[in-house]
Amino acid sequence: MTDLIPLSTCLVLIPALPLVAAIVVAVLGARLLKERSHYVVVGAFAGSFLLSCLLLLHLNANQAGNADGGTERSAGFAQVVTLWTWAHVDDAYEFESTDPATMADAGPHDFDIRIALRADALTGMMLAMVTFVSTLVAIFAAGYMHGDRGYWRFFSYVALFVFSMTMLVSVTNFVLLFVFWEAVGVCSYLLIGFWYEKPAAAAAGMKAFLVNRVGDFGFALALFLIWSTYGTLNFHDTLADGSPAPIALDAAVSPADGPAATVTDGVVRGVLGVRRITANDYVGGQVALMICLLLLLGACGKSAQFPLHVWLPDAMEGPTPVSALIHAATMVTAGVYMVARCTPLFMASPEAQLVVACVGGFTALLAGLIAMTQFDLKRVLAYSTVSQLGYMFMALGAGTFTGITAGMFHLFTHAFFKALLFLGAGSVMHAMGNVIDMRQFGGLRKRLPITHWTFFLGCLALAGVPPLAGFWSKDTIVAAVHERAHELEHEAAHRHEVEPSRPGGDHGRPAEDQGGGGAIRHFAGHSHAADGEPSLVPVALIAAPAAGGHSVLESLSTEQLHRYAGIYQLLYYVAMVTAFLTAFYTFRAFYLTFYGEERIPPEAEGHAHESPPVMWVPLAILAFCAVFAGLAFDRTYLRVDATHLFAEFLANAPSLAAGAVTTTKVPYEFHLMVAGLSSAIALSALLIATYLYLGGRREILWLKSIFDFELIAGNLDVEAVAGWSRVGWIAAIHRQARAAHLGWLTSLVGNLFLMAVLVLTTPFLLGRTLSPYNLSQRKFYLDEIYFLVIILPMRALGAVCFVVDRWVVDGTVNAIGRIPPRFGALMRPLQLGLVQFYALAMVLAMLVLVAAKFIWAAG
Amino acid sequence: MNETALLYNYLVIGGVLFALGLIGFVVRRNMIVMFLCAEMMLQGVSVSLVAWSRFHDDWGGQMLVLFMIAIAAAEAGIGLALILMLFHQSGSLDMAFWQDLREGDQQAIVDKEVPEVDERDRAWPQLTPAGIQPEVDPDEQLHRSKI
Amino acid sequence: MTCVPLLLGQMDQLVRSPLCWGIVLGATSLWLLLSGGSETLRGIGKLLGAISLLMLTATLMIVGDWSSQLVFWVLALITTGGAAAAITARSPVYTAIWFAVSLLGTAGLFLFQGAQFLGVATVVVYAGAIVVTFLFVLMLAQPEGHAPYDRISWSTFAVPTALVGAAAVIALVLTSLDGLRSSEPLTSPPQIATSQQHMAELGGHLFAYHLVSIEVIGTLLMVALVGAIAIVLHGRKSRPETAPDHPSRPTTDAGLPGGTP
Repeated sequence: MTDLIPLSTCLVLIPALPLVAAIVVAVLGARLLKERSHYVVVGAFAGSFLLSCLLLLHLNANQAGNADGGTERSAGFAQVVTLWTWAHVDDAYEFESTDPATMADAGPHDFDIRIALRADALTGMMLAMVTFVSTLVAIFAAGYMHGDRGYWRFFSYVALFVFSMTMLVSVTNFVLLFVFWEAVGVCSYLLIGFWYEKPAAAAAGMKAFLVNRVGDFGFALALFLIWSTYGTLNFHDTLADGSPAPIALDAAVSPADGPAATVTDGVVRGVLGVRRITANDYVGGQVALMICLLLLLGACGKSAQFPLHVWLPDAMEGPTPVSALIHAATMVTAGVYMVARCTPLFMASPEAQLVVACVGGFTALLAGLIAMTQFDLKRVLAYSTVSQLGYMFMALGAGTFTGITAGMFHLFTHAFFKALLFLGAGSVMHAMGNVIDMRQFGGLRKRLPITHWTFFLGCLALAGVPPLAGFWSKDTIVAAVHERAHELEHEAAHRHEVEPSRPGGDHGRPAEDQGGGGAIRHFAGHSHAADGEPSLVPVALIAAPAAGGHSVLESLSTEQLHRYAGIYQLLYYVAMVTAFLTAFYTFRAFYLTFYGEERIPPEAEGHAHESPPVMWVPLAILAFCAVFAGLAFDRTYLRVDATHLFAEFLANAPSLAAGAVTTTKVPYEFHLMVAGLSSAIALSALLIATYLYLGGRREILWLKSIFDFELIAGNLDVEAVAGWSRVGWIAAIHRQARAAHLGWLTSLVGNLFLMAVLVLTTPFLLGRTLSPYNLSQRKFYLDEIYFLVIILPMRALGAVCFVVDRWVVDGTVNAIGRIPPRFGALMRPLQLGLVQFYALAMVLAMLVLVAAKFIWAAG
Repeated sequence: MNETALLYNYLVIGGVLFALGLIGFVVRRNMIVMFLCAEMMLQGVSVSLVAWSRFHDDWGGQMLVLFMIAIAAAEAGIGLALILMLFHQSGSLDMAFWQDLREGDQQAIVDKEVPEVDERDRAWPQLTPAGIQPEVDPDEQLHRSKI
Repeated sequence: MTCVPLLLGQMDQLVRSPLCWGIVLGATSLWLLLSGGSETLRGIGKLLGAISLLMLTATLMIVGDWSSQLVFWVLALITTGGAAAAITARSPVYTAIWFAVSLLGTAGLFLFQGAQFLGVATVVVYAGAIVVTFLFVLMLAQPEGHAPYDRISWSTFAVPTALVGAAAVIALVLTSLDGLRSSEPLTSPPQIATSQQHMAELGGHLFAYHLVSIEVIGTLLMVALVGAIAIVLHGRKSRPETAPDHPSRPTTDAGLPGGTP
């Protein structure tokens, strides 16, 4: 079957089909296709999905062959298909370096940007996921968007969106990545603002676009820094003529020879090229930190992480299938993908990894807290997405191979159940006449049975209840963070042992004298790898170069190691708390929507019924995936030496595998303790939610009043304070003062007392505003803070600019502009319209000329 | 004959003709008179050209005058047709009617008010009567609407 | 700037000459004639004009023996006097007639110079055809032969400026011809004036060296003929029923043909 269509054809066709569909629908949609537009798009998406599956088969076959026949040093499989050259500048980059780490790149480099596509495990997995979810969403949208005025426009945008995303995950250099990064942003802008007549939708589209600009700015700066640091923007190694270098390593190139040896073969090493990765030739220190932080800023924008997450909940204004597409497959996964793709860069800077993990953890917690109290069903899901993306970043920040594959695995499973949940929410909206406020409907399980059951499965998966998909991926993330903490702690402890015998900066490392296998010994003391032998070491991973290895960690001092370990440990707890929150808010939304007494908003009169098959069949497919995706790929629970299929597959992606292994080679395994703990937490949260929202409501109000400081603040409003001024002894003072004709004293005392009471109660009143419930309900006032800190100064600046523009610039221009009319007004009386006057003027001019000639001749 | 004197005199006469034509063109208000004055300027140039032609013993000047006569004829044809059109539009040959191409905010130049019709100009020359004097409408004596 | 004293010297010389006074007198007379004053003023103007013409004629150079000199003077007077009368006549009919007189003088001057063909052509084409055409148009447009606006002229600015301009033209011509006046007399008549076969030579030249020009001129005349007809026919077709009411129209309907008695 893999012989049917070659790999390169697959790779080109996967993005090409949605592009063609987008163009066809855009051109023919308005006149010809109209309500049939979705046939083209769904067909294209399905074709892309089938081709993606074929691509996966290709990759699997090639990787198997690689593992069997290739050398042990093979760092994975990738294939690059170059289509054409986009930009080329000879000798654009002159790199002079005395730093041994970057010496290999010395010499002139061409600026060479080719339109090229890359197939490796990471891309293949992303492509399959994106096209699969997109296909189902497009099928769903055919039902959901039925009858919309912009039907064909919607499908054209969606196809363009998917094209951008498939290109984004398959391009081979940072410039093109940036291009499609922007294209995805544009498409999201178009789709979020799809109902542009609605002011909220237009504003949300703009917000998404503008917030993303902030991130994109960071990304662009990161590209500049990468260019000036590494002298290339290609992911892969290229030959001198720009064509991709063969991936398989030259036998002569030994990583042990150091970086200098690798440049002699006339290959320009890409930023994420196999040669550089195997040589672990990455710049460390401040530069690496800066690159990573800027990349992270870009990823934060796209993947809605903490400072830049504000756009994602507002993006709910778009059509629900778009929400599903953005949250599950296309937009937000771009940041995660980018960080995962740049793993080697992040490996070079443990600080940056820590920042990534912290941002992820903080976002996960924050979004989880906000989601607790939202009443908009889609908003709950949106914050849940933010929270889950935080999980992924946490995993990526853990930096271990386990962490990165776990992050990608969570991305993979999350795509299914989040798409499922969003499409379910869309189905509810469809039935409820576009009402999405959970206070306005309830008890819908009888009306929408299929939606109810599929939504239930999605909730279980999201909550991380075993054995559904979410459980496996979330569990691996928590485990990865946990492991990272232990690893750092272990490293620090090891230092303490070694340091007395080895003073000086060269911190010893047992791996040094034991070769590749040594790294594993780090985890000999680890409880989960007690036997000290890897249960699985992918062939591709046996590339730990002696010169590379733990050099990055070596740059950290012992105190730093301790501190980092503490932070990762903290993140582990954060992950646990977030797991609790996730399960709680998920089921809160579920019960509010589907249980309780049946309430149907007036907007839904007459059509509060189950959606047509075109909408529930995708739900069912996604529900199936949400249940079984984890079980199918994670086999580690079966027996000790079982494989994690997903991780094993991803390990063949060069940028993941070789980079990860140089730091840690943690065998993939099933952490029973972590799994048990997290599932226990999830189940307890589920039970609490069930108790609260399925049963009585009194406890909910009780809890709300506690978290809303109602007991404290309830009696402290202004009227109450005013009433106190009439209590006994104050009234007595008033009487006495009036008797002594000291009316002013009365008013003075009364006012002073009032003021004192107000000053004293203000903190409580403020505290009411800042009560946990209010904070969560108002999204921690982040929008308001952004408004105060960013938008207001910007507006002030805008006002200043306006004044300057209006009065200074415009004034100058207008003043200059008034000169010609004034001058012309002087000449206007000459334009009489009388022929004889013109003749006279000609005569006079002729006389002047002749006289001038005479004077000239005489002079 | 003194050729130099001849040249001198002719050039002076040509200049005077040209200057008189110029004055007439600029100051008269009747379009046909203006046109005649333009012809007069051409005439002044013709006189000069012929003088130069003789002085230099060259036919060129005379050739040019010949062409000028032809062009003057063409000009007269076209120009008079145009004047007729203008007359049909305004009902008058007065140049003061045609100031429409002036700037928008300019007033049309009136210069002088057109004087009342002078009775003396209305008197037509009369031949000495011969034979019986026919009965004539006295009004028709003063004003003949058609000829 | 050495030219200024030189120019001043010339001015000084000019002021003393009768020529200058002749020009000034002529300008004055034209001003009197053109500004539409009373008959007395016009009479003074005519007198001054005659004097100035005589003075100007007297300043001309002597061309030969007395008979030819006399002929020349007469022709010059006819030409310039006719022209002056043409531009000052109150009726356009008289203008045309005086112009014809001036043309006859010009034709005489041409003959006097030995350009017989041109002299005859001028009489035939100009005086015979063009002026007659003018008269036809005049009769079409202005059957009374006169109109109130013929009695006045542009005065405030145009008359003085035009007079000064014209005087300056003449002064310039005279000044520039000063050298000619003081040069050696040249008495040998040129070949083109004395040729016995004037017409033949002229024709030969015309068709030998100016054939293309002749053709072009012929075509031009043809086009002008067609054009004139087209203008008149087309204009008549698209003529508005009522003449547009010009806001700029300064006159009453007194200027219209057949105006109120």
